[in-house]
Amino acid sequence: MRENLIFADREVAFLRELTRNKVPFMVVGLSAAALQGAPMVTQDVDLWFRNIDHPGIRKALKKFGAVLVPPFGLNPPMFSGETVDCFDIVLTVHGIGEFDEEIKTAVDVPVGKITLKALPISRIIASKAYLNRQKDRMVLPALRSAAKSLEKQRPG
Amino acid sequence: MKMRLSSEKLKQLCSERRIQLKDLLRDAGVSRTAYYAMTRKESVLPKSVCRVADRLGVSPASFLSDDSAKVRRIRELQARTDEICRQHPACDRDVVFRTLMNLELPPIERLRKALIRARKSHIRR
Repeated sequence: MRENLIFADREVAFLRELTRNKVPFMVVGLSAAALQGAPMVTQDVDLWFRNIDHPGIRKALKKFGAVLVPPFGLNPPMFSGETVDCFDIVLTVHGIGEFDEEIKTAVDVPVGKITLKALPISRIIASKAYLNRQKDRMVLPALRSAAKSLEKQRPG
Repeated sequence: MKMRLSSEKLKQLCSERRIQLKDLLRDAGVSRTAYYAMTRKESVLPKSVCRVADRLGVSPASFLSDDSAKVRRIRELQARTDEICRQHPACDRDVVFRTLMNLELPPIERLRKALIRARKSHIRR
């Protein structure tokens, strides 16, 4: 029963609110890979925003009784509130292009009644290979295998 | 409602697969005696199943579940996995198979699985 509450309607509703408010964002990291079919494990859903000061973000947060916690020292900006706890804010993705460049090749993923933009697995691999932290090295082989599997599924 | 074994249908299936009935029985581990006894039976299903079907006025087939479709689906995925791994030997077979399985789910379910797995592994730690 508890499992049904993970990434349930309210989280999807928050993302819908962001898209309704025309906030430019895309899902990145392992959650983006999972959305595309890679069998990954992830604690959070990383959302890459072009601009965290976009008024649509605060509007969406307000609707769900959540707030934006500004960056402090080494701590990045965060969302706080029950509905948004599973989302992490990403402002820079290392090893790949700028937001405006990457959004052009982002993959459309239908989630409920909305379509989300997600960073393609090839770009997730590029970023993780560039960062080369231990946690990145651990997931790279699986991401590469998943990417090869997905290549075969594309028509043509 | 009776469910008889149709030797004609069975022979037809054998012919489509280019195998002989005696080879089929040998491979399936069914003796000729057992096979002919089955063909003579009024119904190959237990009487209780037939009575339930009679009471409902339906064919027993309408409430028997067929697992062969599930097996076929897995075999298909395994074949595709084999093909991908043959072409890309560096691929992890398990990951390829799981990816192909995930593709049959809606994206939101794929994400939920990823988040649930993380919660479970966190609890186990």
